[in-house]
Amino acid sequence: MKLFGSRFEQVAAIVRKDFIIGLRRRASFATMMMFALTAVASLSLSTGGAFVEPKFFAALLWVVIFFAASAGISGTFDDEATAGTLQTLKLYAAAQAILFGKMIYVFLSLTALTIFILPIFLILFDVAVEKFFLLLATIFFGLIGIAAAGTLTAALTTSATVKGGLFPILLFPITLPIFLPAITLTEISFAGDAFEISSLVVIAAFDLILITASSILYDYL
Amino acid sequence: MRRKMDASQQRNASVIIFDDVSLSFGRRALFKNISLNLRGGQVIGITGSNGAGKSTFLKLAGKIIRPDSGEVKLPVEKKIAAVSPEMKIYDGLTAEENLFFFTELRGKTLSAKNILELGGRVGLDLKAFGNVRSENFSTGMKQRLKFAILLSVDADIWLLDEPTANLDDDGREKFFNEIQAAKFDKIILLATNDKAEEKICDEIIRLPL
Repeated sequence: MKLFGSRFEQVAAIVRKDFIIGLRRRASFATMMMFALTAVASLSLSTGGAFVEPKFFAALLWVVIFFAASAGISGTFDDEATAGTLQTLKLYAAAQAILFGKMIYVFLSLTALTIFILPIFLILFDVAVEKFFLLLATIFFGLIGIAAAGTLTAALTTSATVKGGLFPILLFPITLPIFLPAITLTEISFAGDAFEISSLVVIAAFDLILITASSILYDYL
Repeated sequence: MRRKMDASQQRNASVIIFDDVSLSFGRRALFKNISLNLRGGQVIGITGSNGAGKSTFLKLAGKIIRPDSGEVKLPVEKKIAAVSPEMKIYDGLTAEENLFFFTELRGKTLSAKNILELGGRVGLDLKAFGNVRSENFSTGMKQRLKFAILLSVDADIWLLDEPTANLDDDGREKFFNEIQAAKFDKIILLATNDKAEEKICDEIIRLPL
C-alpha cells in the first residue's frame, strides 16, 4: 500500500512538473494549438458553403487531433533526453511512475487542445451536434488511446536519429483501431443516428490494451 | 569531522556486488569479468585516465546501465542519488521547485526551514535564489543545487562523478565535509582525477581493472 502511495505521489509530481515547465516554455502547447487552428481555419475556408457529409467532418476532426497531437507529444521524452534531465528522472523515480506521469500529462494536454479546437471546429464548419454526450465520450476514450500510444511511441523514438518522421509513422498503425470506431461514433453524434454501445466498448478495450502494453514494454526501454 | 565507525554501523554497512561483470562499447571491452565488493561506511574512489570507464563504472554500480554479462547486486531497499555532469536538473524550474520535485519523488516533504538549511550546507543562498529559475544559475551554483538535492533525498548510495568540478574553495570544502560526515552509513563512490577529491577517499579503485 505504501509502495502504491509513493508511486502515486511520483506520478503526481511528474505531471505537476511537466505542466509547470510546459506552461513556462509553451512550445509544445503552442505547436499543437497553432497546427489545429491553422488546419481547421484553412479547411473551413476552402469548403465554405459546400455541402459536406457528417462522416467527412468526423474524419476531419480526428485527423486534426491526430496530427496536432503528433506535433505536440513527440517531444515528451526527447525534450528531457536533450536537456539531460531524463537520466536524472530515471534515477530518482520509478520507471512506471515516469510512464504514467507522462501519459497523464499527454492526456491532459490533448484534452486542453480539444477544449480549444472543438468549439472552433463546430462553429467554423457549422456542425450541429445531435448527441453531445456521445461526442464527449468518444473524444474522452479516443484521447486516452492517443495518449497511451503516443507516450509509448515517444519513449521508443527517443533514441532514434530521425524522430520527427518516425513518430507519426509508428503512431498511426497503433492508433488506427481507435480512430475507425471513433470516426464512426463522431459521425453518429453529428447526424443523430442510432448507435450501439459496443463501439464505445471497443475503444475503451483498446485503450486498456494500449495502457497495459505500454506498462509492460516501458520496463524494457 | 571524521568519526570512527562503531560496531553497529559496521554491521549495517552495505555492499554493492559486481559478479563477473563484463561491458563493451563496440569492439572495446571496458570491463571484462569483473568481480568485486564495494563496501559501505567509506568513500571509495574510482580513478583512471580519460576514457578508462570511471563514469561507466558508477552507472553500472547504480544499475543505471546494464552489463553485457554478469550481474550487479545492490543492497535491497537502498536508494540511490547522484551528482554527475551528465545528470542535469530542470532549467525551467526554480531552485526550490527542483528541490521539492526530487524530494517528492522520494516521498519526502521539505519545509521552508529545511530549504534554507540545505542551502547553508551547500553554500547556496536559497533565501535570495530559491525562486530563481536554475537556467539563470552559474555552473557552480547548479553544482551546489545538485548536491543540495542529493542531501535532501537522504539516499543510501551516493554516486559522485567529479562532484567538486566548477566549485570554488568554499564549495569544495563544504562538499568534502558533507561527504566525510555522511560516509559511515552510506555507500559512497567517487569517480575523479582530482587530487583533492582522491585525498578524501578511504579506498581507491584504479581503472582499468
